[in-house]
Amino acid sequence: MSWQGWAFVIIAWGVVGFLFLWCFYKVLRGKKGEDNS
Amino acid sequence: MAGPRKREHWGSSLGLILAMAGNAVGLGNFLRFPVQAAKNGGGAFMIPYFISFILIGLPLMWVEWTIGRRAGVLGHGSTPGAYQSVWHHPLAKYLGIMGILFPLVIVTYYTYIESWCLGYSILSVVGQLPKMPALHDIAVSQVLKPFADFLSGYMDARTFMGGQVIIPSVACYFFFLVTLILNVWILTRGVTKGIELLAKFAMPALFIMAGVLVVRVFTLGAPVNPDQTPLSGMAFLWEPQWSALLRPSVWLAAAGQIFFTLSLGFGAIITYASYLNEKDDIALNGLATASANEFAEVILGGSVAIPAAVIFFGVVGAQEIASGGSFSLGFVTMPAIFSHIPFGMIFSAFWFGLLFFAGITSSVALSQPIIAFLEDEFGWTKLRAALTLGIFLLIFTHIPIMLKGALDEMDFWAGTFGLVFGATIEVILLMWLFGSRKAWDELHRGSAIKAPRVFMYITKFVTPVLLLVILGAWAVMDIIMPAVKTMLAKGFGGWFMGFVGAGVGVWTARLFMVLIALLFAWLIKLAWQGRENQEGES
Repeated sequence: MSWQGWAFVIIAWGVVGFLFLWCFYKVLRGKKGEDNS
Repeated sequence: MAGPRKREHWGSSLGLILAMAGNAVGLGNFLRFPVQAAKNGGGAFMIPYFISFILIGLPLMWVEWTIGRRAGVLGHGSTPGAYQSVWHHPLAKYLGIMGILFPLVIVTYYTYIESWCLGYSILSVVGQLPKMPALHDIAVSQVLKPFADFLSGYMDARTFMGGQVIIPSVACYFFFLVTLILNVWILTRGVTKGIELLAKFAMPALFIMAGVLVVRVFTLGAPVNPDQTPLSGMAFLWEPQWSALLRPSVWLAAAGQIFFTLSLGFGAIITYASYLNEKDDIALNGLATASANEFAEVILGGSVAIPAAVIFFGVVGAQEIASGGSFSLGFVTMPAIFSHIPFGMIFSAFWFGLLFFAGITSSVALSQPIIAFLEDEFGWTKLRAALTLGIFLLIFTHIPIMLKGALDEMDFWAGTFGLVFGATIEVILLMWLFGSRKAWDELHRGSAIKAPRVFMYITKFVTPVLLLVILGAWAVMDIIMPAVKTMLAKGFGGWFMGFVGAGVGVWTARLFMVLIALLFAWLIKLAWQGRENQEGES
């Protein structure tokens, strides 16, 4: 696989993986919602 | 008719997200996504895919959560009431027909497809699936023929009337009944003890099984040819073909994939969100749901079927398999591959097991809008509503089971056009008729995160335009162009004869959808009349 292929794998997996872990960290931390309106 | 009544609520945030993710994660994550990516530019496909996620996926996710929570607070869990909660116009409740009609039509055939996964999973364990012949010097189509024949015999054991009427195998019918009973049983248990409990078990199990399969695919080595390795499988999927970005069809495919994978426009997210409390977070939970779905799709879904196909059949074979479509990949190619590796029956059971879990968490979500409609607008108990739905499905699923062409017709109108049309209506109702600033405040009431304000403008201006572009492009490509081509080749008479003579299955499906739409219009009229009478009396 060329460096471009690797770049796509790393960026796509990185973005999706980070978003997934960050969201579940925030949810599982169980912080009560604030009124951000 | 009963007035507003106490509605159920989710037991926990995690349960809610797992149920929402269960709704979104379906067969498409593991079958449709890798095929679309492989056919539309490999790694380059991810550029329009992520752009569509930001411009269409995430905004619509938040739109549906916002409408749903607001509707739930006002005592409605389905789109007729939900739409009226953001647009106080008599027409709004009738526009809401879409959010109960489309999921009902989809679940009518989806439960059947889901039952194939259960059937194949059990048949894998008991060793009833075919075995793959030796791979050397033999065409891919020949290698896969026993599996294609097996699938054909499973679904279409006998045919009548020149193939128009189909009788499935006994095993196929048995697993359909088991799947239907399982769905109805879960629905009778309600939101917390049924849907949420299912999601808490099925979603972790799905992620574990998918993880095991990813590890197995990556450790396959090169069992057929030294050039066909897991790395070459990943290269096939991820190597960018930049020229693909110049093709509008690739952008359209990416937008469609984002739309389907997040289960937008079904009405199911609105119904699930209606079981939230007034100040429960929706901004973070909506984002978490979308991210869980993307994790299952991009990381897990992209690392099993297509890489495994390249390892066993090479790049040319995988291209042929990908062009055969998602079902061929899932139900023909994958069992063939599993039959060729040690303990393949266990991995095959895992593969179909994860597809079944992905399917059942989606089918209960597709069913819940109807349950909520009958509960909230007619005061039915969930037992009565679920059993009624069960009997309905038991009768009418025979249309896609037995009539050739019916399933594709239902999927075309309800599962493709209908959803994008429904989503376009939703975003206009919330962002234009309810008001974008009010919607933005509604989204952030009780929220654990603050969404960038640019999303308010994206949702108001960009998302509806893109949805209209998708609708227009599909209408041109799938309806107008084929009709024009036929008219040019055979004249208007030839086209008309083709239209009228589309087959018993196609016309039965069309009639079924129209009659159900009329039935819902009448039920909505009845429910609102009852509500008005009740308000008049009090």
